[in-house]
Amino acid sequence: MRIGAAKATYAADEALFDSATQRCWLGVLFTALVCFPFLANAYWLYLAGLVAINVVSVTGLNILTGYTGLVSLGHAAFLGLGAYTVAILEARAGTNFLLNLVVGGGVATIGGLIVGMPSLRVKGLYLAISTIAALFILQFVFYNWVAVTGGSAGLSVPPARLFGLVLDDSFKFYWVIVPLTVLLLFGAANLFRTRIGRAFIAIRDRDISAEVLGIPLLRYKLMSFGLSSFYAGVAGGLWAYFFRSVTPESFPLLLSIFYLAAVIVGGMGTILGGILGAAFMTLVPELLKLIVGWLPIQGDTLVIISPLRTIAFGALIIGFLIFEPNGLAEIWCRVRRFFHLWPFRT
Amino acid sequence: MSNSFIIRVLQLLGLAAGILSTAGTVYAEEEIVIGGSIPITGVFSFAGVNIHAGIGDYVKLVNDQGGVMGRKVRYVYEDTGYKADASVAAFKKLTSQNPVHLYYGDSTAFSKIINPELNRTESILMTGASFATEINDPRKYPYQFMVGPDYQAMFALLLKYIAREKPNATVAFVYSDSEFGRDPIEENKKTVANLGLKLVAEVITPPGSVDVSTEVLKLRRADPDYTIFHGYVLAPIPEFISLARKMGMQSQFMGTFWSMDKNNIMKMGEDADGFLGIMPYRYSDDASADAPMLEKIRQIRPGYQSTTYLQGFVAAMLLLECAKRTLEADQELNAKNLKAAFNSIKNFDTGGIIGVPVTVKSNSIPVGRIYKADLKNGKMVPVSDWLTTE
Amino acid sequence: MDWLLLLEVSLAGLGTGGLYALTALAFVMIYKATKVVNLAIGEMLMMGAYFFLAFSTALQLPWWLAMAGAVMGGGLLGAVIERLTIRPLLGKSTLSVFMVTVGLASVFVGVVELVWTADPRALPEFIPRAAVFIGPAFVAPKIFYSFLVAAALIAATLFVLRFWRGGVALRATASDQVAAYAMGINVPRVFSVAWIIAGMIAALAGILVGAIGGISSAMGQFGLSVLVVVIFGGLDSVLGALVGGIVVGLMEALAGTYLGGEYKRLTPFSLLALILIVRPYGLFGTAEIERL
Repeated sequence: MRIGAAKATYAADEALFDSATQRCWLGVLFTALVCFPFLANAYWLYLAGLVAINVVSVTGLNILTGYTGLVSLGHAAFLGLGAYTVAILEARAGTNFLLNLVVGGGVATIGGLIVGMPSLRVKGLYLAISTIAALFILQFVFYNWVAVTGGSAGLSVPPARLFGLVLDDSFKFYWVIVPLTVLLLFGAANLFRTRIGRAFIAIRDRDISAEVLGIPLLRYKLMSFGLSSFYAGVAGGLWAYFFRSVTPESFPLLLSIFYLAAVIVGGMGTILGGILGAAFMTLVPELLKLIVGWLPIQGDTLVIISPLRTIAFGALIIGFLIFEPNGLAEIWCRVRRFFHLWPFRT
Repeated sequence: MSNSFIIRVLQLLGLAAGILSTAGTVYAEEEIVIGGSIPITGVFSFAGVNIHAGIGDYVKLVNDQGGVMGRKVRYVYEDTGYKADASVAAFKKLTSQNPVHLYYGDSTAFSKIINPELNRTESILMTGASFATEINDPRKYPYQFMVGPDYQAMFALLLKYIAREKPNATVAFVYSDSEFGRDPIEENKKTVANLGLKLVAEVITPPGSVDVSTEVLKLRRADPDYTIFHGYVLAPIPEFISLARKMGMQSQFMGTFWSMDKNNIMKMGEDADGFLGIMPYRYSDDASADAPMLEKIRQIRPGYQSTTYLQGFVAAMLLLECAKRTLEADQELNAKNLKAAFNSIKNFDTGGIIGVPVTVKSNSIPVGRIYKADLKNGKMVPVSDWLTTE
Repeated sequence: MDWLLLLEVSLAGLGTGGLYALTALAFVMIYKATKVVNLAIGEMLMMGAYFFLAFSTALQLPWWLAMAGAVMGGGLLGAVIERLTIRPLLGKSTLSVFMVTVGLASVFVGVVELVWTADPRALPEFIPRAAVFIGPAFVAPKIFYSFLVAAALIAATLFVLRFWRGGVALRATASDQVAAYAMGINVPRVFSVAWIIAGMIAALAGILVGAIGGISSAMGQFGLSVLVVVIFGGLDSVLGALVGGIVVGLMEALAGTYLGGEYKRLTPFSLLALILIVRPYGLFGTAEIERL
């Protein structure tokens, strides 16, 4: 049982993982991540890749909405920007895989900065709705700028190549996606130990007070938009390599809502919440399919799976918001506390 | 939520995870697997549900007769909602879980997108709901085929019919803003010019749109003799036709394969009398001809079966025929061999579903017939022979 | 310049605009009373239309009875939503309530798909089919009659808000909740009434929209355009809802005809971008004053 932890240095105080137990479990997690692809079949590797992409994207959205308090429903558009950039570069220029991802993230960042411009004039829900407008405008561009984006046919992406190895199946791709995701997660966690991260949190809590304290609002809000869009752009690039095709229909409003729901279900304002939310929302449809398969229903269950998935999605959002507003991260923390303080009650 | 409740939920989840991890791929060896990205929900769900039934019925028929060369056929599928990226995801999922040799894709967009992957893996022969002209090219799409003539050929047949019935007639194209809708338009503008007809209006509707009143106004201005719809299964054709008639438009309406379902047309009421279109197959309730396969279908499923059902049925028939020929030649079931088997299909009898024995050309089955809607008798009447398209 | 076409297209646009205005009215009523941005308004429309379908086909009721039933159903739905999902979140952040309505929208779509499948359907015909001509211009009869009904309903609602006790209570709660409490107004009841009336209006609007273009589980998309209308007009302004509805409907029709069908989707959002730059709180909305 851990009662308290006295920190002797500033570095120890700021550490992301402050106890030996935590570091131990982290080691276990990394070992598990390394062993996973050897034990799992192609289907689970596919799911793992999808979860990783969603984790990156949700972490980005979490930076913007969870930590800075700026609700954005345009996240899917930034994924789209990243995906299209990567698709165009890979298909037409054949440049290096990692470079493409960075450029994709960069283009998405520029998009994010532009979309974030109104954030000084409008706040709250009005900002959310202006991001919806941005999403539709970008979607229109994806559909109609046929010369660049291939219009409604979309673009097909050749498989990624890293050091001469062609990443064409889920196993190989896993080894690229997961380290990248872990790196980006550490980056995000680290961000909130710095000045910038604390400024974001201040803006979320009370932006006018933050301004009074000397935080230039527009600069930091734009930075938040830019950073979150960078994450989205990288996620979009990974998406392009993963699915090997990019169409304008791949990034609808529904995807933005999915990511926002993942942020909320996971727990706004915590990195762990981002991971849990993304994993949970990605795996729920699979779980649902399993459950429906077990139920003794006559006829073709396929017809009811899709509506059930929609209902489950909505019910999860409503349920979490009413009963557990701090999301899965809170549940996780409570369970952890239970084990920490055992045999005492929490 | 109390902690004990949470602990119990966690235990349940752990159990589920444990069971999930064992639910891997358990498939019998020596099986032929047909994979399908099927639009069971979404804007094409009417077609998707029937296609699904058609494929399933044919697979069951074949399995009941002992399978293909002694191997059982298994049909695995995922719902896509007619969204291209969901189709791609379904493809990835199905091919990672099963040894898929034959595939049915739900849309033109999907067929185009998945093509590089098919070319890379060279293990799957694919057909689908698309009759897109671009796909009817064995050099660019070596491992795909379509279950009928391509849209451009369908359009050309309709335009030729118009040119015969009324030389120098005016024509309008109404199509949806999607891959499906746009496919044949450019090429057919040239055909229109070649046949001496005049294209007076081109109306594009956003996919899934419901309110077409402004588009009909445009159409009325142009007042064409013939209006060809393409890129729709049902909506918004009934709305177009009903509004157009109310405005006093005298145009004759025509459609391509997917809008030719008898029930859908009959539901449109007297406005749709005389609706013309291309059908590569007979209608399922056509008892006039000697068609043993149609008889079988009528036995399995009494009552009228949609044209979309027939499309799925014939698709499965052709896919399994290719598999059969490949196995008969003692060859491995890979894309090259399966496609070679497809190319070897000459004077093939579809059991009467298609009115004449078919020989494949490029990636298509170039046979079609023009039908006209006779609302009074509730029937679709053929107004041409079984034509071979060029 | 084809003036007749312009006139006809404008009339068609006005007709659609009337429906936008009606739905926007329902939205604004909810926002004024409970400060909730209801993204599920499109789905409430859809439920009203499907109730109508159920009443008239399954129960074989004549259309006016089915319509009354659907409207009541819509009202009941509004009350249930308010009680079960909005009331528990009283006092929480606006984002939470907004996301709850998003979740509700999903649930409604799923329920509709489960019971009626995702097939688009046509509602039973009840609008007179004879063509309507205003001068030389043709107006689709469905749009014409829908516009009339929408206008009548909007007028009735405005009348009720102004003169009925309940309407006054609604306006009072909207402008200052604490003062309303102090005056003895039963504020929770006002919330319920607001949602019930909004649900009824949305159901009727759904029947009209469904009569024009058919119904399907994707009907909720209409709600996105309505969202643009209310932002354009001002989230808490009834007048804004009316003006916004007409303007957006008109612009959409004109863009669709003269620029091409692809632009129809883009127009409302371009208008939105414009209004956010020029007047962020909408044409007639009240600017939010933030107090520390």
